[in-house]
Amino acid sequence: MIEYIDVHKAFDVPVLTGVSLSVETGETLSIVGPSGTGKSVLLKTTNGLLVPDRGDVRIDGVSVYHAEREQLAAIRRKVGYVFQYSALFDSMTVFENVCMGLSDGEARRARTPEVLRKVCDSLEDVNLDPALVLHKQPSELSGGMRKRVGVARAIVARPEILLYDEPVTGLDPINSAAISRLILEIRERTHVTSIVVTHDIEQALEISDRVALLTHGKLRFVGKPEAFRASSDPVVRAFADRQAAAEAALQLVERGDDDN
Amino acid sequence: MTELLVNTVSSVLARIGRTAESVARDAGQMAILVARVVRATATGQVALRDVLTQLMSVGVGSIPLVAVTAALSGIVTSQQGGYQFTNSIPLYVLGSVVTAGVILELGPVMTAIVVIGRVGARITAEIGTMKVSEQIDALHSLGRDPVAVLAAPRIIAGMLAMPLLVGLANFIGVFAGLVAARFAVGLGADSFLYGARLFWHSWDLLYSITKGFVFGFVIPLVSVHMGFKTGGGAEGVGRATTSAVVTMIITVLVLDAIFPPLFLN
Repeated sequence: MIEYIDVHKAFDVPVLTGVSLSVETGETLSIVGPSGTGKSVLLKTTNGLLVPDRGDVRIDGVSVYHAEREQLAAIRRKVGYVFQYSALFDSMTVFENVCMGLSDGEARRARTPEVLRKVCDSLEDVNLDPALVLHKQPSELSGGMRKRVGVARAIVARPEILLYDEPVTGLDPINSAAISRLILEIRERTHVTSIVVTHDIEQALEISDRVALLTHGKLRFVGKPEAFRASSDPVVRAFADRQAAAEAALQLVERGDDDN
Repeated sequence: MTELLVNTVSSVLARIGRTAESVARDAGQMAILVARVVRATATGQVALRDVLTQLMSVGVGSIPLVAVTAALSGIVTSQQGGYQFTNSIPLYVLGSVVTAGVILELGPVMTAIVVIGRVGARITAEIGTMKVSEQIDALHSLGRDPVAVLAAPRIIAGMLAMPLLVGLANFIGVFAGLVAARFAVGLGADSFLYGARLFWHSWDLLYSITKGFVFGFVIPLVSVHMGFKTGGGAEGVGRATTSAVVTMIITVLVLDAIFPPLFLN
């Protein structure tokens, strides 16, 4: 279980102004909201990449910020993180990148069949053919493949929690749908607790047990996708309608391009 | 008029204050970085493979450029000394001037400048790019300490490689000076070596290698530190790299000026 307790964070201006939220074990929660409202900041407080100015984050009852060094390392081993732009290590091959997701001991035995099997399994889990990608550099992969390798690296150690930061940013609709399907498949297979930060409300409603809307540094709505759709809250409606309008406009543009 | 003067003075003082604060903050952060590197090394978190990879990059990869720079330094010193000594000082003294000039000063400093340009700038740009593209965050999230993975191997490799590079630069610089003396002023090898031996102190070589060791510690330390504090996308990486190169050159020259009163008196 993940608990955010009155989390505050400011950089030059306040970003999070008192976020409290619980995510149950095995649940998939999507955090949606306009750009710049602190969705990624909130995600990064989960495994200590950012430290809140006030408040706390607890994973299975253990405070991420008051944990001892070993405890924090143990927490981080429980948590897989998929970065917005994959954050693959440019100087390493796909195999070495995925190996980095394993424990120190396993990574040092990178040439053993056991480790190779784990890396290949993880790549197959994200629908990549190890024979084709294993020895490639990240620069040789497409955007969608890089995302998948990022997911493979996050799940290779079989974490209990997966954090996705804008998993479909920069992807075309086909790859976006494939990533959404992948998130569902991983959840079905591993029963992992997932938090997905996304600006794509349709993706959020499709893959989540609950949706949270973050605006102006506070949670405006937390509830089931059906409740989100039916909400009469004008802010929720405005966000959902603006997103729908933007998607409709995009479809019109795309259709226009097709007509030409 | 008085008001303008007061404003100008207070503006200059404020700028000096900000610079001093920034230098003090950087120095403090680098001291913490050193402590973390020592801890990571002492607790066996630094992979030997990473150190060897960096040794290849810092050391072996720098050999051609260091050799060319050292040879040219030796040649220029020899030619200039020959020009000044002809008809005034016994020419064999040239052997001492070239040997002392290269070993005490040109070998370590020119090697440091080459390593700053070739390796230091690359380290800052590489780590800075990793910072702005969230690769450092990725290391944290994977339970890896970026200090153990990125900083320690580069600093250890710098401390191991620089003394060897300085030793090589000294040898090549003196040899090139010897050959240049033969062609520039007709000074034979025997006379050159006689002059070199006449004023030779064994301590000079240790002094030179010590300089190499200190520069080999400082250059990667500054470049790693500047890489870690990079922010602001591609422009930020460019700014950090420029700032790192300037800081490394000034630091090396300041240390070079501190060395003689500390070790040569």
